[in-house]
Amino acid sequence: MLDFRKRPIFLDGGMGTTLQQSGLRPGASPDLLSLTDPDLITSIHKRYIEAGSDIVYANTFGANRFKLEGCGHTVEEVVDSAVKAARAACGSEYFVALDVGPLGELLEPMGTLAFEEAYEAFAQVMAQGAASGADLIVIETMTDLYEVKAAVLAAKEHTVLPVLVSMTFEENGRTFTGTSIPCMAAVLEGLGVQAVGINCSLGPVEIFPLAKALCDATKLPVLVKPNAGLPDPRTGEYSITPKEFAQAMAKYGELGVSLVGGCCGTTPEYIAEMKKAFSQDIMKGRAPSQEKSVICSGTQAAVIDKVTVIGERINPTGKKRMKQALIDRDYDYILSQAVQQIDAGAHVLDVNVGIPDIDEVELLPKVVKQLQAITDLPLQIDSSNPAAIEAALRVYNGKAIVNSVNGEEKVLERILPIVKKYGAAVVGLTLDENGIPSKAEDRFAIAERILERAAAAGIPKKDVFIDCLTLTASAQQAEVQETLKAVSMVKERLGLHTVLGVSNISFGLPCRPLINRTFLALAMENGLDLPIINPNDEDMMGTIYAFEMLHNRDKNAEHFIERYSDVSLGAMTRGAQKQEAVSENQEPSLFHALEKGMKTDTIHAVEQLLLKEDEMTVVNDYLIPALDKVGQGFEKGTIFLPQMMQAATAAQGGFELIKERLASSGKDQVSKGRVVIATVKGDIHDIGKNIVKVIMENYGFEMIDLGRDVPVETIVETVLEKEIKLVGLSALMTTTLKSMEETILAVKKAAPECKFLVGGAVLTPDYAEKIGADYYCKDAMKSVEAAKEVFGG
Amino acid sequence: MKLEKPLQIDEKQWLGRLGVKGQADQHLRAAMDTCEKQLLQAIRPQGVYRILGLGALNLEGTAIQKHLAGCGEMTIMAATLGADVDRLLRVAQIRDMADAFILDCGASVLIEQVCDELEEQIQQQAGGFLTGRYSPGYGDLPIETQSQLLAALDAGRKIGLNVNNNHIMIPRKSVTAILGMADHPVTGYLATCGECALRDTCVLRKEGKSCAGF
Repeated sequence: MLDFRKRPIFLDGGMGTTLQQSGLRPGASPDLLSLTDPDLITSIHKRYIEAGSDIVYANTFGANRFKLEGCGHTVEEVVDSAVKAARAACGSEYFVALDVGPLGELLEPMGTLAFEEAYEAFAQVMAQGAASGADLIVIETMTDLYEVKAAVLAAKEHTVLPVLVSMTFEENGRTFTGTSIPCMAAVLEGLGVQAVGINCSLGPVEIFPLAKALCDATKLPVLVKPNAGLPDPRTGEYSITPKEFAQAMAKYGELGVSLVGGCCGTTPEYIAEMKKAFSQDIMKGRAPSQEKSVICSGTQAAVIDKVTVIGERINPTGKKRMKQALIDRDYDYILSQAVQQIDAGAHVLDVNVGIPDIDEVELLPKVVKQLQAITDLPLQIDSSNPAAIEAALRVYNGKAIVNSVNGEEKVLERILPIVKKYGAAVVGLTLDENGIPSKAEDRFAIAERILERAAAAGIPKKDVFIDCLTLTASAQQAEVQETLKAVSMVKERLGLHTVLGVSNISFGLPCRPLINRTFLALAMENGLDLPIINPNDEDMMGTIYAFEMLHNRDKNAEHFIERYSDVSLGAMTRGAQKQEAVSENQEPSLFHALEKGMKTDTIHAVEQLLLKEDEMTVVNDYLIPALDKVGQGFEKGTIFLPQMMQAATAAQGGFELIKERLASSGKDQVSKGRVVIATVKGDIHDIGKNIVKVIMENYGFEMIDLGRDVPVETIVETVLEKEIKLVGLSALMTTTLKSMEETILAVKKAAPECKFLVGGAVLTPDYAEKIGADYYCKDAMKSVEAAKEVFGG
Repeated sequence: MKLEKPLQIDEKQWLGRLGVKGQADQHLRAAMDTCEKQLLQAIRPQGVYRILGLGALNLEGTAIQKHLAGCGEMTIMAATLGADVDRLLRVAQIRDMADAFILDCGASVLIEQVCDELEEQIQQQAGGFLTGRYSPGYGDLPIETQSQLLAALDAGRKIGLNVNNNHIMIPRKSVTAILGMADHPVTGYLATCGECALRDTCVLRKEGKSCAGF
């Protein structure tokens, strides 16, 4: 195989462009031409080889099950004919790349395609490409790093071929779905591809700064395939000539870009000119990239060059409400915990779903998928179950941290290969089968061993973080200093980043916050990089901000001042909505606060009421009557939907407080009836459904939200399993009303007693009746009425 | 191509979509101001268009033929606010459903404003006279036409706009449309309720109204 580091490798130009010159209709699929006119395809490849291409991309860009649906040919046929047409041009002298483009369906959470389905679709292409004799695989023109991950895993698990990946960026350095260059580099290096690059969208001049950023972010060989400038909308002609293209491309040699070609608009002439202009000495300009520790989501990278806060709240240990949410699959609660931590300034979110009797292998990846739909922050996968870790890493869109391994041989043996395969970073705990050593030197020795074993597994040093373990000061006071010493030794002697769960230090002592923040300051001074803390605790966050400022890393105290300029000492609470705050001596009126949609005041009022009333009284005598009043205003047309929603979300804050209380005192939650709610299969318009959910929840109904695009079977299963009496369905498209009908039919067959309420812009009362729904609800209040009728409340 | 961000969200349209009659009260006003800032920051308006002969695509239905009557060519266009808005709306639905609803309606207004901007650019670059925008799913032009338009525009590659197998466009706040082009003033044609695919379920029609001139 070609060595991408020895000399420049010349790729080909735009297949689609050349085909359109040969008369392909706009929007028509070029993929079938490999079957219907293979000689034409071979002749185009030959022209590129004559122009100087070392590698040609087979005509398989759109050859996948989604794009070929209904064409009358299988993916296998199309891929095979395309690879063979390319081989006919290349012989054994030149190289055939299996060209893999986007599937044409967007993946979750943006689209509806599941990661696993994308993987299956790619696997089919990869397996056939290898079987037909491709020499390498090129995954290109991608905009979603998640889709790339599915493709790379499919390639690696079905072939032994080298894999090259190029993505399409806009001038702002992001793809259409928001992937940044550092994220792409971190994830793809981790997944073990052979080269990364940029193609399409822009011309060679515009791509140059992006390619430079990519060269800085990775040690891998870099490939670039720009367009021939920008197209004219009327004629479709591209704006720059072969000579101009060649001149612009020659500059890439100085960056050390080693694989070059063209995309849209680049005919063989462009490649020939480029080859003439391109220097042979590619390694000259390629400075080795710095060894920074980077973790990332699909859209945001965190470089560990400052104190990096790992938020600890998504963890059921000692948190009854979270535990209940995990058991109930109450993702809204879990996600609200994520959002709070994001707002508080966490840099990474820890995810732990470990409860006895819960299926972590099933649940952990689900929670990861939910979280990555709403946050750009990288995640830390926190589990000791290797299968759960693997399941979560597999579906994670980004480069995660795995928490954790330890010095035990069998743990290292099982987990390190998983970390390596998915390109994650890993936390090593300084303990082993003999427990936690009391002396710093002994913990250091375990850290050393973990590093050795990680290196042997192929995990780079920058991706190994060590947790020297915080012990409780009240029980093991002498060992607090050993922990600090171990942190310092690991940091200085091994040059590794360090992690510590902090708040454990104060367990069993009074005034815990004081101990916590003091220990945090000491630990950071000794070299702690990644504290695992509750970021909602402003004392802790403030300590970190002050630390960064005092170490002259927060230049001009910019971040510190931004965060604290208008905070007075002794009242370190950020984010409280000042204009809403009720003065201490004034009795807050729940009615007023709720009606005006003031969340902070509503919560405060509920807190006050709970001092004298029990939870059920507050719900039945205060919250619901207040909501009723708002609801009546809505019916009469004096209050409009946005105001009603503001009142409802304010009430939500109050209900959440009550839920916390009930959970922590072990009492049953309020439930006036359990209702399943879903947006039907095929539909992803879920805002209406979510509005109904909030309002119904406020009236005490327990809402089981199955989400959007929900398969009929899922709804049937849930109804049977949880003995559901009422289901709410929404559909917003004329095309998805059919799914609504199918769902009602299937559920009524399995559970004839189950009632349905339905809503959505394209529904009418007549149509609702026709498809077997019991209640047509034109708005959220009507849903409440329907539910009251069903449950008799 | 990249399009200019609107400077603000059209207030009247926004309140209309929110279902608010008259003015916003102080609390809603404050929420709308915050949402407007977030939206204007999150949007990355992109558009793409292409001028084609009238027979270049296979367009079903009679209404679109009437719309294009008297025209020599047609422009097909697509515009989107980009994926960040979808992300903003997803997070808002966790954080605060009232804000999510306000944001969603605001984004719907913005995409129309962005379409106006694209239409203006087409007008400037192409010259001649244009009819109004006619979109798939409207009248008897099947929603399935969406995929055809996006393929002909290469919209996935050019502006990151895709359609799923249920004809839903992603990113969500996006529009495709067909405009007739002529060398003389043309008005286009608005479908009547009689030929509209939504005639049995249309909310406006139930209220005795029509979307013509809406």
